[in-house]
Amino acid sequence: MLEVKNLTAAYGQVSVLHGVSLKVEKGQLVTLIGSNGAGKTTTMRAISGMISPTGGEILLEGKSIGGLASHQISKLGVAHSPEGRRVFPTQSVKDNLLLGAFSRLTFGRERGDVEGDLDRALDLFPRLRERKDQLAGTLSGGEQQMLAMARALMLKPEVLLLDEPSMGLAPILVEEVFHIIKRLKQEGVTMLLVEQFAAAALGVADYGYVMENGRIAVEGPAAQLQNDPKVKEAYLGGGH
Amino acid sequence: MAILLQLLLSGVALGMIYAVIAFGYQSTFATSGTLNFGQGEALMLGAMVGLSMAGNVAGGPYINYWAMIPIVLIFGALQGAVVERIGVRPAIKTKSEFGWIMSTIALGIIFRNVAENVWGRDDMPFPSPLPTDPLHIFGASVLPMELLVVVGAIVMMVGVEIFNRRSIYGKAVVATSTDRDAAGLMGINTGLVITFSYALSSATAAFAGVLIAPITLTGASMGAVLGLKAFAVAIIGGLNSGLGVIVGGILLGVAETTTGFYISTGYKDVPGLILLLLVLSVKPAGLFGKSVIKKV
Repeated sequence: MLEVKNLTAAYGQVSVLHGVSLKVEKGQLVTLIGSNGAGKTTTMRAISGMISPTGGEILLEGKSIGGLASHQISKLGVAHSPEGRRVFPTQSVKDNLLLGAFSRLTFGRERGDVEGDLDRALDLFPRLRERKDQLAGTLSGGEQQMLAMARALMLKPEVLLLDEPSMGLAPILVEEVFHIIKRLKQEGVTMLLVEQFAAAALGVADYGYVMENGRIAVEGPAAQLQNDPKVKEAYLGGGH
Repeated sequence: MAILLQLLLSGVALGMIYAVIAFGYQSTFATSGTLNFGQGEALMLGAMVGLSMAGNVAGGPYINYWAMIPIVLIFGALQGAVVERIGVRPAIKTKSEFGWIMSTIALGIIFRNVAENVWGRDDMPFPSPLPTDPLHIFGASVLPMELLVVVGAIVMMVGVEIFNRRSIYGKAVVATSTDRDAAGLMGINTGLVITFSYALSSATAAFAGVLIAPITLTGASMGAVLGLKAFAVAIIGGLNSGLGVIVGGILLGVAETTTGFYISTGYKDVPGLILLLLVLSVKPAGLFGKSVIKKV
């Protein structure tokens, strides 16, 4: 479904990714873990076109999407719930969700049942239903996170990129977010998940990659990584 | 009392013209953080193109005033799109902070020169589509055309506001204004949205041009001062407040007509500029300017 080969990227003169390769099969939940500054978010940004890669290949169903603009990649079915949520604060929750379906409403992608999907998104996130007509900027951090995820789902994506969905959330909300991720996985949504809570991420994922300094350091089935002494020591200790 | 009312009404009509042009400044600033300093020339071109179709020049009139308006709007939109593609996009691409200032000013000067060569340097009368006999309201006399200016300005701004709130394309414009990167992730072609905002901005200016032309004179130099004053209005009202430009426009319009009458027409531009300086020193974001609070 999604394949990244030897990806390199830089911010200005500073090179951040030094050849990242990973693969997400259809229906799989793959997680990308690693310490701060390892290049996880940059990898996500390169895949969704927020930044242009400096080298390597990004393939979506075998077609190269590397270097395309983010709106083109979105139309091909890559939805990105970005780091920091990035909801549109001056617009209502409902408008934010409709904007998630922008490509479907404007013939960039198959339209399908947008109204029905809006309803299903609000079922999945009941807190959002209560706040449907509220401005997104007035939501709490946790609600904004749910809105960012729901908005990305409104694309009916081939691949969903989730960047740090638990960042800055209270423990009870973190649990709720992981519960929703599990549910999406059961529904067959293909996902690439970047997480700081490595243990929780490996707990729900099929396959995992551990990033270090802009490279993939270790990879393997999630269950295997959970028991890898090296991974355990570096990322799973400290009560995460 | 009648005189004061007269001055207020004339001031409001003038102020609404400033407001429409200032509204155009806001639309490009919102999506791209840039301004079209050739806005006054866009107004002038709109009026001149309108005059060529509906005026007594070059063997005209060819069509009536009302049929001319949509053509002028389309012309304005195309002209704005050209300004964006030639003058602004390269500056945005190279992340040049000031490139667009010079290029939009330069394009404005070029447009003015072209207009001088096509239509001449003399001001021309623009035939009024409405009766030129003033209406009497509580002792004040108002030209029907002045009422049309106010109504037209309000219809234009309300129309854009409804588009922004109701249609998915308008929502995309608002989203691009708040967070361009996130808008791109939604599948919104933000470059196209910026071109659109320039088209909209010049179309509103061209519209203002044909609204005001019948009550002033029409000529290649008519836009420069209007464009500058509308810029002052955009600063006074706040570059991100729709209500602000209406209030700012009316304040400036009324300040000009009252000063012109009670002090001297020679000083009529002064109060507006004093107001501008006051606002800049006391509330730099404008009277109604606001900074959006983002939760992190």
